[in-house]
Amino acid sequence: MTQSPDERGLELRELFYETSQELLQALNDQALELEKQPGDEEIVRGIRRTVHTLKGDAAACGLRELSELAHQLEDALSVEGAAAHSAVAEIAFAIADAFVEMIAAYRRGGKLPSTKALSKRIQDLTAAPEAKKIRRGRKANAAATSKTAAAKSSAPKSPPLGTSAKPSSDWTEPERLAMTRAQSEGQDVVQVTVKMDPHCAMPIAGRQLVHNAISTMGPVIAVRPDVKSAAASKYVEFVLATMQTAEQIAAKCKIPTIVDEVTVELLLAPDPAAKKAEQIAEQPPVSDLPQASEAPSAEPVPPARTESPATQAIQENILRVEAGRIDNVLNLVGELIIGKSMLQQAISEFSRRYPKELLRGKFADAMTFQSRVLNDLQRSVMKIRMVPVDQLFRRFPRLVRDVARQCGREVELAVSGEDTDLDKGILDAIAEPLTHLVRNAVSHGIESADERRKAGKPPQGTVRLNAYHQGNHVILEVGDDGRGIDAPKIRAKALELGLTTPEDAARLTESDTLDFIFRPGFSTAEQVTEISGRGVGMDVVQSVLHRLKASINVETRSGEGTTFRLKLPLTLAIIRALLFWVEQRLYAIPLNAVVEIARTFESEVHQVDNYEVLQLRNQVLPLLRLGRPAPEQDRRAKLFVLVILVGERKYGLIVDALEGEEELVIKALDDQTFSTDLVSGASILGDGRVVLILNLPAVVEHVAQARPEEAGHAASGLLLSHTDRMRLAMTTGAGGQA
Amino acid sequence: MEQFAPVKRSKDGQAVRYLIVDDSVFARKNLARMIETFGGQVAAEAGDGLTAISEFDRTHPDIVLMDITMPQMEGIEAAERIVQQHPEARIVMVPSVGYQENIVAALQRGARHFVQKPVKPEVLYEVIKYVLGEDGLVASAAGAGAGA
Repeated sequence: MTQSPDERGLELRELFYETSQELLQALNDQALELEKQPGDEEIVRGIRRTVHTLKGDAAACGLRELSELAHQLEDALSVEGAAAHSAVAEIAFAIADAFVEMIAAYRRGGKLPSTKALSKRIQDLTAAPEAKKIRRGRKANAAATSKTAAAKSSAPKSPPLGTSAKPSSDWTEPERLAMTRAQSEGQDVVQVTVKMDPHCAMPIAGRQLVHNAISTMGPVIAVRPDVKSAAASKYVEFVLATMQTAEQIAAKCKIPTIVDEVTVELLLAPDPAAKKAEQIAEQPPVSDLPQASEAPSAEPVPPARTESPATQAIQENILRVEAGRIDNVLNLVGELIIGKSMLQQAISEFSRRYPKELLRGKFADAMTFQSRVLNDLQRSVMKIRMVPVDQLFRRFPRLVRDVARQCGREVELAVSGEDTDLDKGILDAIAEPLTHLVRNAVSHGIESADERRKAGKPPQGTVRLNAYHQGNHVILEVGDDGRGIDAPKIRAKALELGLTTPEDAARLTESDTLDFIFRPGFSTAEQVTEISGRGVGMDVVQSVLHRLKASINVETRSGEGTTFRLKLPLTLAIIRALLFWVEQRLYAIPLNAVVEIARTFESEVHQVDNYEVLQLRNQVLPLLRLGRPAPEQDRRAKLFVLVILVGERKYGLIVDALEGEEELVIKALDDQTFSTDLVSGASILGDGRVVLILNLPAVVEHVAQARPEEAGHAASGLLLSHTDRMRLAMTTGAGGQA
Repeated sequence: MEQFAPVKRSKDGQAVRYLIVDDSVFARKNLARMIETFGGQVAAEAGDGLTAISEFDRTHPDIVLMDITMPQMEGIEAAERIVQQHPEARIVMVPSVGYQENIVAALQRGARHFVQKPVKPEVLYEVIKYVLGEDGLVASAAGAGAGA
């Protein structure tokens, strides 16, 4: 431990910033609960506890302002009447927000936001006329216990008998009798005078501690000042009947940080010959007095209803690791996978060259074993990165509440599937789009209470959040039971914006129409509000999803509601991919997007409105051609068509030849290197070749958006320009082999 | 931060084992770090009183550091229940400012000591030596001469 105090302080702060997130979340949750059940004492206690913890934590790393603000609220909530105040929930929200701002300010070393207004509101809680300035007892039934506590401190029934300034020796009659009895039983009767440490912040507790220590050595006959006196005093005297030596007593009483000095005097030496024993036998020892006086406050606390023991237990086993370290491990696993495919290629070449060599079998066995372990390793590392979507979902109750308030809606949030695990990176990236969708659902989806009543629906709308696994994907749903999306309105708007022509518009299916909402600048909101509908909207959602190789679709029924369904990959780093050739170049697409592979001839490809389609069994498949169309005369050329599923729709991808399937470790491409979003990443194969991984939703959109007559040109533009390719080769360090 | 001579258990010379009970992850980590500088070992952590009791039964730590305000079951009750079952348990309450009555109650119910938050390492160190050493069951025998 050679850390400097500074380093330790910084480290502590970091720890606080991190752990406070959970507390702030809890505070928000509690405030929401309180809003639903105003005045619920259990919830107010929960809020107070949370604020208390924040206060303590902040103080421990020297964040004084935050600690003080928390302390204010904690104190205010301990005042009876204030806790039942209707503004508590509001203030809890406000203070949670203030904490967030303060922490942000501490973090960047900026100026702290002013909390004067908030402090005032907290003070107003206690200023209410019915609020009595009584500290709550530590326990549940505060009303009863705190009143007795108040009585105790304001008007002590038994005032101190001795003065606290100097040692006294005016013992009461029973005490004297107890002393002589102890003496007659052969014990030392000693007076222990303890000088309390003036810095001890809890002198009464300190005195109790000394009392405990002394009573381990024999019965305590008398205490001055009286145990019931609440006043703190500098000296405390105990009379003790004991067999211990003065040194032992002094050592025992010398309690660090509490006791300054101890003096031990012998009051009465043991008197073995004493005959007075019978005379005083009736006198009960008085050493139990202090215990009896505090007994009523010992009732057990009923377990809180809000937290389940299971979640508590889970928290105990969590190891906090920097995300970067896990990424490192994952990267290394990625390198290992490349190593594996290098080895695989070497072995297959070896097998070709020496078909009779017996070693081949051994190599194959070793390879199989290695791949299995590697798979497990990869899966385990990926699991580390997985977090329950609850981490994201739990922000939404507050958001829904705030938005609903601002637009004057009554909205309830129903969350399900929050245990579903998702890659942390993806979770962080979709936070914003998902927030946008939830906001929209509340402000545009749900109608006003009046409108809903007229439509025969309950006045309170519901927004649903759901998550579940589907194959190699995680589906997140944001649904509402509102008015639904008005397809004709979308169509009209699309025409107005020139996104489609009247002839095309007439033929658009409903789902085609709905796709328009994902176009940049498309918003049908009549008025632009502060919360949603700022003109930037769904297209932002769409672009984030593109980056993540995720897709989105909409399902809506007029008058019944809308559901947005996000389909997210389980992880970003490693995919099983299908590799294929187009114009002598190697590309890959995620294998789980491939439904089937079909073979056909150029002559089977038909033109409909300048789009190429293929009739495959009984369905018509829109085709995406990555290369240039074949020359007119070559109608007999063979084609491979990869049937892919993007969102809920199937497309056919025309490729020249297939290479095979492979596990690819995606190397992210930064925006500077790359001028197209059609490629989501690149990967290096075992033999050092570079393969580009196509971003299917972007490719589909690119073709769909191109004006039909330009389709041919657009398609050839799909391929990377030569410069892009050169830059890519340099970034991935694979030279010009691609 | 200053150096502390490690405090060991006298009966076997092993590290002193601690149970840290606090509903704040931050507070637990903070205490755990301090304990490590004392040469101690965190046997278990708990975020509420109920878990504290089960963790005590499971790990039988030498010292329990116990917060007061916690969900499920507060520190005082947990301390009381632990002491009822295990009178030899050494429980040090770690309260915040302003919980004096509670500390008095906890001390009356068998807690051995208290250290007020924010906890200073040197204070906690002294308290631990005191609680271990004077108890008589286990003497603190620090290798580097940090005897009680």
